[in-house]
Amino acid sequence: MRERGVGALLSLLRQGLALEIGFGTRSVEALLWVAETVEEAVYAPGSMVRTERGVRFELSNPPLRAGAFGAVRAWVDGTPVDPRAVSVREGAGTPWRAAASISQREPLALRPGQAAEVRLEPVTAPGPGRLTVRLELESVAIPPLVWLEFSDEVREPGGPA
Amino acid sequence: MSAPSSTVAGRNPAPGLLRTLASAVLLDGRGDVELLRETRGAEIDWGGVYAQHVRLTGPWRISIEVDGTSVDLPSSVMSTDLEGDRFRSLHLVGGLRLVQRIVPLASPPGAVRTLTITSAEAAAKPVCVTSRFVPYLLPVMVEGIRPVDFLVETGVSGLRVRHRGFALGFTSDVLPSRLYVDRASWRGGRRRGRAAEIASDHELRVGAGVSAEIRFLLVGGLERDLDHTPRTPGTSIPDPETVAGQLALEEAAWSGLRPELAFPDAPELERAYDQARSALRRLYTQPAPGMTGLVAGYPWYSTIWCRDLAWMLPAVLWLGDHAWVSAAIDSVLRLQATRELELLGAEAGELPMQISPGPVFLFGTSDTTLHYPALALRSLRHSGAAGSTGSWKEALERAIAWGERRTDPRTGLFRNGGEVALLERAAQRYARVRYGIDAPDTTIWDSTDRRDHAIDLQVLWWEALRAAVALEGPGTDAATHRRRTLLIDQLEGSIRGLYRWPEEGYLYDSLRAGEPVRRLRPNALRAVSAGLFEPEVARAIVRRASAEDLTTPWGVRTLSSRDPGYRADAYHDGQVWTIATAWAADAAFAAGERELGLTYLRTIAARLATEAGGANECYRGDRPEPYDSCFLLGFSVAPFLTVIFERLWGLTPDATVPRLEVRPGFPPSWRSASLDGLRLGDGRVSLRFRDGELEVGWTGPRPLELVGRRDRASVPGGSRARISAR
Repeated sequence: MRERGVGALLSLLRQGLALEIGFGTRSVEALLWVAETVEEAVYAPGSMVRTERGVRFELSNPPLRAGAFGAVRAWVDGTPVDPRAVSVREGAGTPWRAAASISQREPLALRPGQAAEVRLEPVTAPGPGRLTVRLELESVAIPPLVWLEFSDEVREPGGPA
Repeated sequence: MSAPSSTVAGRNPAPGLLRTLASAVLLDGRGDVELLRETRGAEIDWGGVYAQHVRLTGPWRISIEVDGTSVDLPSSVMSTDLEGDRFRSLHLVGGLRLVQRIVPLASPPGAVRTLTITSAEAAAKPVCVTSRFVPYLLPVMVEGIRPVDFLVETGVSGLRVRHRGFALGFTSDVLPSRLYVDRASWRGGRRRGRAAEIASDHELRVGAGVSAEIRFLLVGGLERDLDHTPRTPGTSIPDPETVAGQLALEEAAWSGLRPELAFPDAPELERAYDQARSALRRLYTQPAPGMTGLVAGYPWYSTIWCRDLAWMLPAVLWLGDHAWVSAAIDSVLRLQATRELELLGAEAGELPMQISPGPVFLFGTSDTTLHYPALALRSLRHSGAAGSTGSWKEALERAIAWGERRTDPRTGLFRNGGEVALLERAAQRYARVRYGIDAPDTTIWDSTDRRDHAIDLQVLWWEALRAAVALEGPGTDAATHRRRTLLIDQLEGSIRGLYRWPEEGYLYDSLRAGEPVRRLRPNALRAVSAGLFEPEVARAIVRRASAEDLTTPWGVRTLSSRDPGYRADAYHDGQVWTIATAWAADAAFAAGERELGLTYLRTIAARLATEAGGANECYRGDRPEPYDSCFLLGFSVAPFLTVIFERLWGLTPDATVPRLEVRPGFPPSWRSASLDGLRLGDGRVSLRFRDGELEVGWTGPRPLELVGRRDRASVPGGSRARISAR
């Protein structure tokens, strides 16, 4: 483990202890439940699959904020993806919608518990290994940007999750 | 909200809220537990059962199958009735008459739902009742996310659904004949995995003249609490009418102790007072032992937000519920960060943004902490109970020290902004999946950037410092006292000297990097309310705010419509917020513009009347249409109540003396008004205003020092006195 990782872990432990002393074990435990839920309930872990010209992955929920979004942007390993190369659909069998067509007037609605599939293509074909994706969504009603960043191994189509 | 309402099929009814101190049921009155609301620009269903600030379920729907045909409740509804905290609906299904009742339950927290079915036909016939609900099991504040995986298990007393420490229990007095998860038949036992819908069939036989009834109980919240609750066998599910009766008695007992107002010259304000008082009561919450407060609103803010609580508690003090306020302040101060907690985004001395019986949620607001010193002082002045403020002393000292660390030594100005940076840092270090909302600043208008020295934050800081000085005891050292008083003077000078906006006759919204932020917002009115400007300047500011770019017939916008960044549908950059209207009323009275103040109060009263006692959070800036708005928000009722007591009646209490200053802001045309049952310390005050004179009654053990504009009197307990009201 790298030094920074050990440091972070120790810091986490120290802060956890401080929280326990301040608020009791139960508050810390409950915060952990929520954090874990959010971590696993937005980006569907293991869903990143290589496509012919890019990647595809699933969201199980909107990232933190529900509602209508007037813009969706994506980055792959820190490089912005052309909006024409970003598409979203509600699930298999539903039509893809290009991010370039999403606007304040024609927003994308994401509701709690509503799954969505995101396709990034064409993007520079990622090599083997992990990929970091950042998604940014702009609510039509509340300005601050909502964002989500995650890393996962890219699977080959049909490969094990 | 508590007023009886009736609807018939086909109409679009108002949102329905059934609640106890620990639970709520949200529905739309069409016959099922569902509630579609425009939310952040999209329609989202907020219907469901909520308990301990955890959303237990999404929509909970019931359908009836008879003679091979399945009918849902909304399509068979004949009438509905929402009275107090009981919903009742009548349905006709294939010759059957169904009466549905739904009530919230406090302990265990959740809801009871019953169907009573009768048939006029001679032969008995089978009826299948199907219940379907969407499991949620996450604190309400995580508004955009529904967990994916659940543990579902059956046992002797029904169904349990669990997700990471949150759980619900579902049982019925007619056992299910079949169970389904995601529309697939499930034979029961233990199942872990995805679950978007849990359903059960219940078979009944309905005979001639004999009614059949099925009762459902859905409870939950924190798993540990649910598992320690004695399990309720299906046969002992409480009767909803008994529950509703008990809740009505509790409400009547609470209401009976609140002040009563009469405004013969403004009956609409009198009605609005009653409606706002009832609406505020509906936000009361005590989700678990040791946690007391008011939820911020419904549906998506139904948890304790400590900033919102701070805006509500002054009104609760005026309503005389001193114990509730004391317990609420206790609940918040107990969760103060005593050192930096990067994990929560907390600095030492900071008070949390949100609390719940489960997790303590995030800190990182710039204003929440600043409210509490003045709130503690208010509490002391209403209740006279120094005991509480003594126990809060250390926490309040830490809060002031937090503010001092955020103060610019050159100006005394408090710095807001950058609060989220600490959280960002924590996320970088610890999280596998990073997520966030890019809010560089977290004042009350937390979706817009108001760095570095927002005007209302300076007023809050000034009030906090003054409260700290007022609360100083013998233990306060002279150096601390001197430092604070100097800071108060410095801050006053900075507010008066740095925020004047001569071109607009108004105040800048903020200062950033030493430069004024020329945005016209209602927040500047808080400086007028605080009395920081001389009368002529104060009047000019108030009049400027009343121009139509900021003030609309349905309330006050968050930003002038002339601002290049104005958008009619922007949450904090154009929408109308009722709290801003209340600020405008408060400032107008403070500046002596009584008619204008009254106009603003009437604007709020009109909203309350239109919304049948509900109070939307916000409206579009270009038309009186709620947009991205909770249908009931504490912000929208409590400040209105506070203005009625503090400005219209002109009351300033100090129960430690006891003393009451009375300087009514009634317009000259008003002939009479009365106020009964106002609590001050151990006594109660009654006020009768008639033709410029005030008659004051007092019941306390010590004489009341009564101070008017021109004269004063001492009122012994059990007697009355008269002073001039002009």
